[in-house]
Amino acid sequence: MNPTLSRRQALYGLGASLGSIAFSSMLNGEQAMAAPAADAGPLAPKKPMVPARAKNVIMLFMEGGPGQMDTFDPKPELARLHKQESMLTGGLEKGFKFFVGSPFGFQKAGDNGIDMCDQWKYLADPYVANELCNYRGCQAESLNHPEALFHMNTGSRLGGDPSVGAWATYGLGTENQNLPGYVVMTELALPQGGPTNWSNGFLPPYYQGTRLRPSGSPILDLAPPSYKSREHQRRALDELSRLNARHLDSLSVADQRLSARMESYELAYRMQAEVPNVIDLSRESRQTMEMYGLDDSETETFGRQCLMARRLVESGVRFVQIFSGGWDSHDYLERGHSARIKSVDKPMAALIRDLKQRGMLEDTLVIWTGEFGRTPDNNKRGGVYSLGRGHNNNAMTMLMAGGGVKPGVVGATDEFGARAVECVHPIRDLHVTLLHLLGLDDNKLTYYHAGRFKQLSQFGGELIPELLA
Amino acid sequence: MSLHSYALATCFALAVELCCLSVVAAPKTEPADQSADRHFTLRVLPLLKEKCFGCHGNDTTNIRGEYTMLSREELLQGGESGEPSIIPGNAEDSVLFQAVLWEGYEMPPKENDRLTADQIEDLRVWINAGAPWPDEATQQKFREAEWEVETNADGRLWRTSGGTSEEWTSRRYNPEEMWAFEMVAEKSELLPESVPADEAVDHFIDQRLTEADVKAAEEAKPRDLLRRATYDLTGLPPTPEEVDAFVAAWEADADQAWEHLIDRLLASPRYGERWGRHWLDVTRYADTGGMSNDYERSNMWRYRDYVIRAFNEDKPYNEFIVEQLAGDELADESVRERTGGGDQKVFQTQMKGDYTQEEAEWIIATGFLRIGPWDNAMIEADEARQIYLDDVVNITGQTFLAQTLRCCKCHDHKFDPIPTRDYYRFYSAFSTTHMAERPVPFLKEENRERFEEQKAHVERMLAFAVAEKNKLVEKQETAARKWFDEHNLPYKNEQERKNLPDEEKPPRHVGLDHVEQGQLKVREQDEWIWTRRLERFQPMAQSVYSAADIPGTAYAKKLRIKRKNDAQPPVNHILTGGALTALGEAVKPGVLSALGLPVNASQEDPYVVTDDAFGRRLQLARWIAHPENGLTTRAIVNRVWQWHFGTGLAANSNNFGAKGAKPTHPELLDYLARDFVENGWQFKQLHRKIMLSDAYRRSSTPAEAEKVSEVDPNNELLSFFPRRRLTAEEVRDGMLAITGELVHCYGGLPVMPEINMEVALQPRMIQFSLAPAYQPSATPEERNRRTVYAYHVRGQADPFTELFNQPNPNESCEIRESAAVTPQAFTMLNSDVMNDRSIALAKRLQEERNTTEAQIDRAFRLVFGRHASPAEKQQLTTYVKDMQDYHQQVKPEPVSYPTEITRSLVEEFSGRPFEYQEILPIFERYQADSKPADVSAETRALADLCLLLLNTNEFMYVE
Repeated sequence: MNPTLSRRQALYGLGASLGSIAFSSMLNGEQAMAAPAADAGPLAPKKPMVPARAKNVIMLFMEGGPGQMDTFDPKPELARLHKQESMLTGGLEKGFKFFVGSPFGFQKAGDNGIDMCDQWKYLADPYVANELCNYRGCQAESLNHPEALFHMNTGSRLGGDPSVGAWATYGLGTENQNLPGYVVMTELALPQGGPTNWSNGFLPPYYQGTRLRPSGSPILDLAPPSYKSREHQRRALDELSRLNARHLDSLSVADQRLSARMESYELAYRMQAEVPNVIDLSRESRQTMEMYGLDDSETETFGRQCLMARRLVESGVRFVQIFSGGWDSHDYLERGHSARIKSVDKPMAALIRDLKQRGMLEDTLVIWTGEFGRTPDNNKRGGVYSLGRGHNNNAMTMLMAGGGVKPGVVGATDEFGARAVECVHPIRDLHVTLLHLLGLDDNKLTYYHAGRFKQLSQFGGELIPELLA
Repeated sequence: MSLHSYALATCFALAVELCCLSVVAAPKTEPADQSADRHFTLRVLPLLKEKCFGCHGNDTTNIRGEYTMLSREELLQGGESGEPSIIPGNAEDSVLFQAVLWEGYEMPPKENDRLTADQIEDLRVWINAGAPWPDEATQQKFREAEWEVETNADGRLWRTSGGTSEEWTSRRYNPEEMWAFEMVAEKSELLPESVPADEAVDHFIDQRLTEADVKAAEEAKPRDLLRRATYDLTGLPPTPEEVDAFVAAWEADADQAWEHLIDRLLASPRYGERWGRHWLDVTRYADTGGMSNDYERSNMWRYRDYVIRAFNEDKPYNEFIVEQLAGDELADESVRERTGGGDQKVFQTQMKGDYTQEEAEWIIATGFLRIGPWDNAMIEADEARQIYLDDVVNITGQTFLAQTLRCCKCHDHKFDPIPTRDYYRFYSAFSTTHMAERPVPFLKEENRERFEEQKAHVERMLAFAVAEKNKLVEKQETAARKWFDEHNLPYKNEQERKNLPDEEKPPRHVGLDHVEQGQLKVREQDEWIWTRRLERFQPMAQSVYSAADIPGTAYAKKLRIKRKNDAQPPVNHILTGGALTALGEAVKPGVLSALGLPVNASQEDPYVVTDDAFGRRLQLARWIAHPENGLTTRAIVNRVWQWHFGTGLAANSNNFGAKGAKPTHPELLDYLARDFVENGWQFKQLHRKIMLSDAYRRSSTPAEAEKVSEVDPNNELLSFFPRRRLTAEEVRDGMLAITGELVHCYGGLPVMPEINMEVALQPRMIQFSLAPAYQPSATPEERNRRTVYAYHVRGQADPFTELFNQPNPNESCEIRESAAVTPQAFTMLNSDVMNDRSIALAKRLQEERNTTEAQIDRAFRLVFGRHASPAEKQQLTTYVKDMQDYHQQVKPEPVSYPTEITRSLVEEFSGRPFEYQEILPIFERYQADSKPADVSAETRALADLCLLLLNTNEFMYVE
């Protein structure tokens, strides 16, 4: 980032809530500091630029690239051509290619003409399906997982730019100052490209996604070692405050960075209490836990994360992202996709139902997407007709619900599902639309870096009006 | 960023605009006929082209609002509304004019593209003059006449090799923004004769302070100065003994004490470790290649040690440049010369690695050209090659020339006089450069300790992978045999049966369930990974070589020298929009033309280098390292200044373009650049000049705080010394020094510090598999080396150093962040790393002092370099006592390290999870640090105190 701004920001920006008054009172032996006013700090809530439809986002990222024709975009033509030679071009694989029919049957779900393969049992319930928008017009660029992941998450294939969640928290701040504004959940293994997918890029580090770890400590070093109690920690912080206050006092001129750093310890202390509360699912009813599939080993991981996502959004977290891998079915498509669908179907349906029942869906945009789609055809693998699909950057499928999105099918792919042909838009337009729903204007949500004002869409994009309710 | 600073960012944008305005702000009168035509040609038409034609003209298949603007007739006709867009003679009522004001229509629709007040005025003047639109020939006449004028109200022409359009080539620049492309002024023009050379720095700094009537802060206290200089030059804190000695010497003769201190620090080997790290920030050091596979680049440490040695030996910067960019070509030339042989001799030497020490050093230096993230997995070969070359062009521009060339990959630079042609000339200069791991003998300076035991570790890991793999293959082949038997066919092994039709062979992975299939893949990957890692012990360097072309494709997996007979160097073209398929004009290899610094003045085109396959880079490097290359010389002295003061004289040390920050003290920058070259391009004398100045020695408390916060809120005038937070390395290395655990070494194989164990053992995806777990080095002697010697994995940052803003090695880091974020507090209070350091420090205190009070005082001396005050002693004695009581009541759990872990992964074909075991043999012989359960309640109580001190602002910030 621009160091000039950085320095200004250091002097005037963060943590300006604490003045030297607080410190002198501490020196007098008075205990602790009050929580800072909510309007302070880089993550303080900000007003949207344009009327917002959604306040929060839950993004369900299906890493590997789900096949559109095996999930929400039926292609009967492929069944007819199954195992016949394909002359379609595109993709990386060369040589003999053959068409692959979807192993799944299809059904209509709800009143808005959403197509679903027969593996979706819970999502197909009209109460849920009626909320869904299936968008078929998006096109990725890269055919390689990490680059495509970077593109969908940060607007740039190269990686290193701020992620969508970082831009959203930069633009809107967050509602609960005791929690991170942007939370990411992954499986045990990180997705390809790792933390670059939720990076703050050139934005200040406050906007970086905070990963809630799936096992062990939810945030690294969140808790003190077990032999140190919360009272022990409080005492240490009080002593530390006294040392720091004395030091600050010895400098005849205040330095906001030093007070901001002191405040970060108090926030840490509050977060230590708040985070375990939010992620403690034992406060949920048995019925809710069952609804999310926590009682079944196949749905438990994603179910837990979806339930956590609802709790986080409820607690004021702005942007939640869940990564779920294993969609890269180059082979054994039927087994692969049916297992993946099974693991996300019930939890996703529960999430949408739950948000709807609680009246939160209106304000919460739920997005389900991969980094790209899959090809209608495949290569032989090891000399065998392997029933799978390659990477496809010309067509994909995504679901959205709530947050100002219009239910129904938008856009279309060709008869093979090889290429988007209606309402075709690059990823940047999706990003522009997403920001728009949050009340942010991509052209105005900029940050000066490396010689120019940068934005999520890189160089501007278009709104996709068809998606808006 | 807060709302407040968001607003400041906007102000900054406005300020940039205002600067532009000031050049052309001459009030305009309504021009007469002839001049209205001219006004249209020179001012209005370029504006329409830039801002309007993109959507309303150029692409006839996609005209927005059915409104074309390519002619006066079309403007009069208007768009789908049917209303004329201009009314000649009446701008105010013209729809077009209202639209650019964003009244009614809002055009151009993007905030960033909106017209400036001046541009709006141009449009108004033109419409009011009747909106004339002269024919093409008339336009051309006006344009050509204007090109004769070097500088006019619109700015100055800049000679370059030429853009892709006439408009670009003939556009004008605000001379103030082009400062970096101007010749560096001579010292005699800058410094009045009356000012002695050793007062030059203060002369320029004080000049601005006087102009602004800002009083400089007083000199900092000796203890603060010592701490400042010691961290600055070595990245480590001064010891209490050094504090005492320095304060005593200072009292005797302050100036002499200060000079001696700087000389002592510059002579310390710790200096190269600290300043080498600065360089590695810019060049993006890592031990792996990043992206999908994150392959290890074994022996990349040789480049790291080369950099550290270069600083310690005070290698002239011009040599440092040439070696990093073209050291391999230097070596080739040297081989040619010393053997009298031709190409074949050079090639043979490359294959054998038969180099002198000096040649070997040069080749190691070209690790610079191998340092970016790169992998060709799932990328077409020509695109992967393009990604490499773009990266090299970009990093060379940023590192040495402070130019962000990336913009010019797709188009002529929007703001700077760099045509896309020059980008592709640079690109072409590298287009005969190929990546390779090359045989290069070890240098006598290179540390080869630990090779044997490290090799034994790699062999152990490899043997395990192979044994596990063989078990699975055996099981599969047993099943395959059975299948062949059952089908009455002769057995064929995996390779032999690969291309048989499905009916004549068993299914793939026959006999293996999804768990075993998954495991097989993992073991195969591991076998390959550990086999490659045996190369760590080979005399090999990550380097490059020059060749016209290479046979086949370059795979990140293994890069060796390959040559193609009778190959011709590629013909490079401008790639329009950066697309490989959109070939523009052909280009020759060359340099940036805007500088006016020729490669060879006698050539017809003075800015091109040889088009032989060999020697392009060397000529490019020598052009960069030319004493008159003001981008190069200003860039490096600016960086050095930044590393001392926290901000460069020009604040964007990777971008000296029009949109980068302008220098606050341009004369000082030029003076230092000239002086640097005159003094043999050597760093140590430059450090001395800067650090001996009054400016460097100022207190970090401003003299007139209120006034300064108004007049100079960013401290651009340097009326006081900027307080700074310790860097990630300084925090870690500083703590190790304070606890007495730090172990010095002379580089060599990377070491693995103990990192957060959850992260160390956390699965990390690579293509098709999981990367091996992170195993820390077995002994404290290895683990506790300086952070610069740690193993840097692109896909797995050490969470501690990452948290304290060690930069992501995928991007060149011009300046480090240092914001205080909450996760830092978690780590500083709760992590094992910190608790281990506190215990180590507590143990040291107990060994060195007997009473709590003396221990507290000793702790203050070690951590802050000062004694504890009575109030502090009182506070902390009570605290330690209370903590002793607390710790009597608690019993920490003993810590154990796993020697094996179970990993879980989703099997690709079945989408189902499977598990496998991974061994962690390091923990069989691990010498752990002292843990809470290993020490007494007293030690833990004292450790609580140590933890506090290490968490204070006083420790974390340098005055």
